[in-house]
Amino acid sequence: MAHARISENLPPDIDPTKAPIAFGRRALPKLNEELQSPELLTQQRALMALCDLVHDPEKVYQAIEIGFLDNLKNLLLHHDRIVRQKTTQILYIMAMHSVGRQGLIQNGVISALTELLDDPVDICRKNTHQIFEMMARLPEGAVGILCAGLVPFLVLKLKTESEEIQELILDTLSNCLRVEASEALATDAVTILKEKLTHSSVAIRSKAACVLLEISTHPEGKVAVCEEVIPVLVNLLEDTDPEIQASAAGALMFATIRPQGRFSALDAEAIPPLLKLVAEETSKARLSAIKTLTMLAEVPQGRRTLLDHTDTFQQCLNDPSEAVKRAAETAISVIKWKPFSRRDVS
Amino acid sequence: MYDRRVVRGNTYALQVIPVSTQPSLLEIQRRREARRRALARKRAKEQMLSRTPEPVEGREHVHVQTELYLEEISDRIIEVDIECQTDAFLDRPATPLFIPAKTGKDVATQIEEGELFDFDIEVKPILEVLVGKTIEQALLEVMEEEELAQLWAHQRAYAELRNAELAEAQRLEEQDRRYREEQERRKLQHMQMLQKQKETTEKIAARAFAQRYLTDLIPSVFNNLRESGFFYDPIERDIETEFLPWLMTEVEETLERKVLGRTMLDSLISTVVEKRLDAFSHKPLPDQPEAPVEEPKPTEAAPQEAGETDAADQLVTDQEETDPPVTEKEETDQPVAEEQLSRRTSSQLEERDQAGTEDLEIE
Repeated sequence: MAHARISENLPPDIDPTKAPIAFGRRALPKLNEELQSPELLTQQRALMALCDLVHDPEKVYQAIEIGFLDNLKNLLLHHDRIVRQKTTQILYIMAMHSVGRQGLIQNGVISALTELLDDPVDICRKNTHQIFEMMARLPEGAVGILCAGLVPFLVLKLKTESEEIQELILDTLSNCLRVEASEALATDAVTILKEKLTHSSVAIRSKAACVLLEISTHPEGKVAVCEEVIPVLVNLLEDTDPEIQASAAGALMFATIRPQGRFSALDAEAIPPLLKLVAEETSKARLSAIKTLTMLAEVPQGRRTLLDHTDTFQQCLNDPSEAVKRAAETAISVIKWKPFSRRDVS
Repeated sequence: MYDRRVVRGNTYALQVIPVSTQPSLLEIQRRREARRRALARKRAKEQMLSRTPEPVEGREHVHVQTELYLEEISDRIIEVDIECQTDAFLDRPATPLFIPAKTGKDVATQIEEGELFDFDIEVKPILEVLVGKTIEQALLEVMEEEELAQLWAHQRAYAELRNAELAEAQRLEEQDRRYREEQERRKLQHMQMLQKQKETTEKIAARAFAQRYLTDLIPSVFNNLRESGFFYDPIERDIETEFLPWLMTEVEETLERKVLGRTMLDSLISTVVEKRLDAFSHKPLPDQPEAPVEEPKPTEAAPQEAGETDAADQLVTDQEETDPPVTEKEETDQPVAEEQLSRRTSSQLEERDQAGTEDLEIE
């Protein structure tokens, strides 16, 4: 009678493209030796077998202990495309585990992957970018990518790569630029991102807006964004996709911290769409929209316009989220602030 | 060769001789008893057994062998020596395939439709397990994806919150910076205003003071000037500065000339007296040609000193009188210089010099 448990003994694996796996703890050392063999077929078979094994976190840990990563780094520069493809796939699966990520950082795999950015094979590049994206989610990984000087390359690749890869690059960039944005600004990332904001694909637009958000958290980024991008962002506020609205509102939130940003936002007439976003109960962009309106309310013209709309903010006070309530309170207090009270000047 | 262990000859005729061991007493007794019992049994059996009937007349019972092969029964056992030797080693032949003889009965059977199992009923549990497992696996995967999606949503919410907080912090920073700058500007303005006020008060005070100071200035200046003699009568001044010095110098010159005359006279007299003395004491000396040589010198000096008076020209000087011409030259220079000085100072209006020269002239 069949049991409800899934058996440990999986059905027999008779894939001829994979190397036979030794029993127990001997599996990985044997594959390690096979990887170093001069024959191409052996290497390929070993890589295929390794690809399956690496889904298990314990095997990942063992692999890193044995020192697989040095061999894999050498194989990254192999002339055969299948070897490179499989190696990058293995590294990607390793990067999905925390142990693997730590191992990749410590063994300096990121700088070795720099060579593969120009690989002729699409799938290798895609895997490489996937690895970068996973690594960038970790703070140390983001720092590692910045230290390896990859950001200028990634920004340049945005112009040339396919859409899928562009999405991955944008994700990587948004995580990395959270830490530091100066290198990206040096390679004129803002202009490239401005183009992407008007791309046809929804995902690319929202991710580009995210990257701009991260750039504008830094002071020099704010300067760059204030100059050109604000009108485009205001257009995006009226986009149909809620993700894009949220990201655009977030980017505006940071860009309007500077007075120049506030004036250009007011010129681009940002207030009506933002008010619409605030009024919707379930929009993701509510918090960002409230914050942006708070920034704009510090400017006299903005305050004048917003004094008529305080009831929208009153409604926000009933929102279940704590943060939205607080934001609405601050917004109301800023709008109702009258200049020249002794408290401010003392 | 003869080996006792190997049995030779006819085995039918041989009787088995038991191995002679030393039997124990008990065993001997037991054997005797067994023998007795056997004998008894034998007798009983013999009695029970039906013997062959007695032979009919004319016949005899004879023991006959009814075996297939007749054997000569004799005491002497026929022995033949035969040797045997095994052959050279041969390979063990392959074991012939053992096919056991067929035993038992042949039986046949046949499974008809529907006899073994009903497929539809039996397949149910298997199907249930299969489908159940697949669905379970699918559920697990869906749950994992849901969990992942929730994690992403959670992360996004957290990121949003963090961004909002960051933006708030930066906004407050910016506000603070603006207020601070505004404060600084106002302070600066205030300071400048105070500074200007201070300057204005100082200016006013300075102006007032200067005015008050200067009101008194003109009368006092005029007083001082008047007191120091700036406002003078030009004719009086002219007389004082030019006429009187000239007069004084003229008077001086006259007096000097008189003094000079007197001195010269004195010297003349002394020389004459000396000469007379010498002449009276010694022989007369030839000093007559030297007197006319010295005359032109004093006569030249005399017109220089005083143009009007001629009295001194006539006098004869001695060679020792070279000093007076020199001193006379000096004296002439002095009055000339004095005249020049007084002319220069009379043209200037400086109080000190005027006072000095006036003092000189007053004296």
